[in-house]
This record gives sequence, C-alpha cells and structure tokens, in this order.
Amino acid sequence: MIRIVLVRPWRDAAAGGGCCSAGPDSVGLDNAGHAGHRSADVFAETYCLLRKELPGVDVQMVSASNSLFLLPTSYRAARRDHGRLWSLRRAALSTTAGAVLVDGEVVGDVEFLGADGVLGKVLASAVS
Amino acid sequence: MPAGVIIAIVGVLFWLGYRYYAGYLAKHTYALDANFVTPANEFSDGIDFVPTNKHVLFGHHFTSVAGAAPIVGPAIAVFWGWGPALAWIVLGTIFAAGVHDMGSLVVSVRHKARSIGTIAQDIINRRARTLFLIIIFFLLTLVNAVFAVVIGNLFVAYPGAVIPIFLQIPFAIGIGQYIYRTRSAALVPSLIGVVVLYFLIWVGQMVPVDITRVADAMGFDNPRDLWVIIMFVYTFIASRIPVWMLLQPRDYINSHQLFVALAIIAAGILVGWETIVAPVFNDVPEGSPSIFPFLFITIACGAISGFHSLVSSGTTAKQLNKDTDAKHVGYGGALGEGSLAVGAVLAATAGAATTRADWDVLYADFATASGGGVGNFVSGIAAFANNLGVPLELGAVFAAVVVIAFAATTMDTGVRLQRYVVQEIAELAGWKTLSRNLTLASVVAVAVPMAMALLPGGGEDGYTFGVLWQLFGTTNQLTAGLALAVIAVWVTRSGRRSWPVIIPLVFLLVMTPWALIVNLMNFVAAGQWVLAPLDLIIFGLAMWLIVEAALALRGARRGDPGPNAAGPSGGTAGAGTSRDSDAVRKANAPMSRGDDPDRR
Repeated sequence: MIRIVLVRPWRDAAAGGGCCSAGPDSVGLDNAGHAGHRSADVFAETYCLLRKELPGVDVQMVSASNSLFLLPTSYRAARRDHGRLWSLRRAALSTTAGAVLVDGEVVGDVEFLGADGVLGKVLASAVS
Repeated sequence: MPAGVIIAIVGVLFWLGYRYYAGYLAKHTYALDANFVTPANEFSDGIDFVPTNKHVLFGHHFTSVAGAAPIVGPAIAVFWGWGPALAWIVLGTIFAAGVHDMGSLVVSVRHKARSIGTIAQDIINRRARTLFLIIIFFLLTLVNAVFAVVIGNLFVAYPGAVIPIFLQIPFAIGIGQYIYRTRSAALVPSLIGVVVLYFLIWVGQMVPVDITRVADAMGFDNPRDLWVIIMFVYTFIASRIPVWMLLQPRDYINSHQLFVALAIIAAGILVGWETIVAPVFNDVPEGSPSIFPFLFITIACGAISGFHSLVSSGTTAKQLNKDTDAKHVGYGGALGEGSLAVGAVLAATAGAATTRADWDVLYADFATASGGGVGNFVSGIAAFANNLGVPLELGAVFAAVVVIAFAATTMDTGVRLQRYVVQEIAELAGWKTLSRNLTLASVVAVAVPMAMALLPGGGEDGYTFGVLWQLFGTTNQLTAGLALAVIAVWVTRSGRRSWPVIIPLVFLLVMTPWALIVNLMNFVAAGQWVLAPLDLIIFGLAMWLIVEAALALRGARRGDPGPNAAGPSGGTAGAGTSRDSDAVRKANAPMSRGDDPDRR
C-alpha cells in the first residue's frame, strides 16, 4: 500500500516542553474553535485533498522534528532499491520541512507545488 | 545489586504490564473499539484534527511528557532507599500512570477530543472545571518556582553550564531560521547544532561563569537568587515570542539530547557493569519525612503525573487514528516516562557514589538529599559517561546542560500556559482588566512563581526546596486525581469495570491530603507563614476534589446520567460514532448494566 507523508514545518507543529508543560488547548480553552486557519494552511488543504481524492491511501502528517519516525521509514524504503550511503542521504532529506514523501521518497514540496500539484505528483509517482 | 539486572527486571515488568494489564484495561475498562470513529477522523481538518499513525503519535506524545520532572523526584526520593523508590515507580507506572494516561486519552477521544477540564464540567459539574483551573494555577506556579530553583542551583554548582545554555538560544533560533528559509532537511543542521552544543559544553567547562561577585554587589545572599530572577526575565520574554522561533528548534535539539542521555545511561551501566551502592531501604535520621506518604508525592512524574492528562486530552486525542491506538500511545507513553525515572534512580544510586559511605554522605538527611538530588543525578550520568571514555567533568557539565535545557523549556511552556490560566480565572472572576491584558497576565504568571522561589528560605536550604517540590507533587497528584475521577465516573456510568481506575484514585486521595496535613503541622510549628497558608489552600482543594469525586461516583453508581448527558455536544454520551455499534454492544453486553453511553 502506498504511504504518503507530508512533512509539516516546525512553525505549525504543537509545542512540547517535557513533563509539566502543555498547550493552551489542554486547560479548557478549547472552545475557541479553529475555523479560519484551514484556508491559510496549504498543508491542511493538501492533506484534505489527498484524503478526499485517494481514500484508500495512507496519508500521514508528520512534524519535521519527528526524526524518530522519518529517518527509519525513509531509510528502510530507500534500502529496498539502493545502497546504504544513498539511503542515508535520502533519509536525511526526509526531514525537510514541506517535503512530500511517497513510500519514503521525496517527490516534491507542499508549499511550492500546492495541493493540486502534490496530488499530481503523487499520482505520477504511483503510476511510475 | 548490578544496575543492569534492575534494567532487565524493570523491562520485563513493563512488558508484562503493557501486554496483560493494558490489554485488560483496553478490553474491560475502556472497551476500546477499533471501529469507533475518532475525532481525528470525524473532524479531520489537517490542522488540529489529523488521524496519525500510532508510532508517529507515540513520538510526539512521549517527547511531550518526558522532561526534567521525572529526573528530579526520583533523584530526591532514593533518600528512603532505592527499593521503595523503584517499587513506586514500577507499580505506579503500571497500575496508576498507565491507567491515567490511557484513560485520559480515551475519555477525551469519546468527548470530541476536548480537554480534561472541559470534560470534568460535562461529566461531574461546572464546579469541577473551576477546581481544575485553580489546581492547574497552583501546579504551574509551583513547577515554575521549583524549576527556577533547580536551574539556579545547577548554574551555581556547574558554572560551566552557563555558556552552552545561553548560547544555545541564539543558535537554536539561527538553526530554525536557516532550516525554514533554505528549506533544507532539519536533521543535518540539528545534528550540527548538537555537535556545536557539545563544543560549547567544552568551552563552558574552560570558561565557567560565576556570578557570585555580581550577586554580592547587588545585595543577594545567594547567587542562586540572581539566577532565578534572570531565568524569570528570560521566560517572560521567551513566552511572548512565537513557539516556532525558539521553543521548537531548541526542543528538537533537546529531543536529541534526551536520546543521547538515555543511551549513555543504558550503555554506561552495561559497559561499566555498575552496581547500586545505596541501601535497598535507607535508615533515615530521626525527624525525616516518613516514607508514607511523602515518597508518593516526591515522585509524581515518573510514577503518575496529572500533567499527562493535559497532553493526552489537549493534543494527542485530536490525532488518535484508532481508538485501539490509545494503548500504544497512552500506556506506552507512561512506560517511557517510567523508564526515564528508573534511569534517574540508577544514576543517583549506582553512578553518583562508588561506595556506600560516599552515598551516605550525599543522602545524609532530607535537606541534603533535596538540595543535592539533581546534582547527584548529574554526577551519576557523568560516571556512566566516564565508563564510555568521556572525562568526568565534561560528562557532569553535559548532564547539567541536559537537565537545565529540559527545565528551561518546561518553564517556557509553563509560563506560557499559566498566562492562559490566569486569563481564564480572571474571566471567571470578572476581572476584565486582567483577563484581557496579555502583558498583565504574563506579569502575574511570572511574578507569583518568582516570589515563591525567592521567598525567605524559598530554595535556600535543601529542606525548604524539598518541601516546595513536595507541594508541587501534591498539586500534580491532585490534577491526576481529578482526571482519574472524571475517568472513573465515565467508566462507572458506562457499566464497565471501574476498579482499575478507582484504586489509584483512592490511593492518591489518601496520600496527598495526608502529606498536606503533616506538612501543614510542620509549617505551623516552624512558623513558615508563607508555606503554611499555601499548604492549607492546596489541602482545601484536595478536600473539594474528594467531595466532588465522591458525589459524582455515587451519582454514577445510582445511574445518574450526568449534568450534560443530553447536551448539544453529546456530553457523557460521547462524541463520535461506531461503525459497528451493535456488534460492539453485544460483545460488551455481559458487563454492561444498560446501554453503553458511548454507543448511543
């Protein structure tokens, strides 16, 4: 099954500060709602489009800081067809904010391509 | 006892807990349902509500809950011996923290991923939410106060840590800007950041920054107090700048540090085959705080921490893809934090001293143990690193930097969060000026804990710091108690087995007031007229919580549907739907007293 990963920049990720810290949503201020940021966030737009157009595909949104997930996932995917060094470089690239990964391979950038462009790239990658 | 054996035993116990007890909870207490449509899927918007792979979410959740607190508490609590400290961490993690963290996540997922405070209002009553906000206010006040003291003490003890900590700030900002503007991969610059940080640690060791003379000239009795003020000025500024600019890039570097520190603990213990030199049970001097109840509030984070309910219900619940993933993310996150606490126990008992006599000096009395607990952890990590070829002094500065960086990040987010809480309480109280003025709210968020950290005796002698730490532990346990009460009422109303939730709830609601009463008597006897009223207020909150929890549980047992059961949000009926609700209801029928409210 194809897995698409959208690598979200830090500026959009939730803050974490270790035990004894949390975001404002956590203290009962969650009634403010979040309407309004959908149109301003190309990642959200892309994510929703991919989920809508490719319902059977595993689409994940991952923070660029989550190297614990991104590095091994990309490395394992690259190792299927390539050597270690090439795979390591490919894995390092997977932590690029804005990257679109299709089965562990970087195929483009969300902010450069836009939602429709990402969909086209993903479909092209799936065909190839 | 070889520390490596402890690691192996704890590993097996945690695995058994995850495999069997979490499995029991998933089936009989929380009735996790793979077909339940979670809020992440129901409201999926790609922003807050994002169904996320459980391994990805575990990474987010674990790095959000692991920090300095599970290091400080255990490093102090080994004063009573490593046996009780380790037993409470292991049993607490398996039977309390796992239940609490997983339950908070599940109850939030069944209520549109709302926060535990808001759910308390729906499940218990409006007063419960007010109680929640007041407890959180005191919790944040105390956590910011104690961490400021911890940082100040470490800067005084390890002046070599000053340069790396303060230069890490512009460096983190620079890395964040570079990655964002050049759209390059985050890994390589961040690893360079870690290498540069280690270089700065070496520089710091060569050029220690001692502010004793400046502090003397400014009239401070203790240079630690000047560091406390500097840290609060810094957090006031840091809490006003966007999180992506400083907090997140620094957090990223810190997350690498966490993994490096954990690797050093494990590898250092195994390579050096370190042996615990501390006693299993320590024969503490007369007049010391007794093991019951004080052990159970000295170690809060690492055994059970109410803060995890905030992370579980505030952020993680919005990203949970499947109901059944709650076991992996919630229970697994608790095990991760417990592992860090076990590492802290081993550092303070196997690494900090080489002989029993040396260890006895470090933990001669409660004041010495409290004042030096974090330093002992630092020494322990340095010893483990030394087994891997790192010079002792360099290793000590490295460990001090890890703890300070965690504590500083916690203060950043803690002050930021306190600002919102202050505004919320001001809104409830009708203080419009405070509720609408961000700067004023920030000043309150900083000034109150700073006063606490600087009050006469604030952290000056180890005993008072230890007491402040215990007060922080009590508020953290009260937060956990409130979350467990909410979970228990919800589980009881659903007709499922609630004893796994009620037992840790009762345990916390016995230990916490007990500790508060003993401390109150001590404060009055010692004439500590700042700590005594604070203790009395927290005791009042504990009593309030006990009454609310008892009334709500009694109502739930009688079949009371709850204050907001038929509300527009679904209230206790929960949000979301099951794709296969009939089948699930049938499967749960033997243990249900009626319709499962979650499935209505």
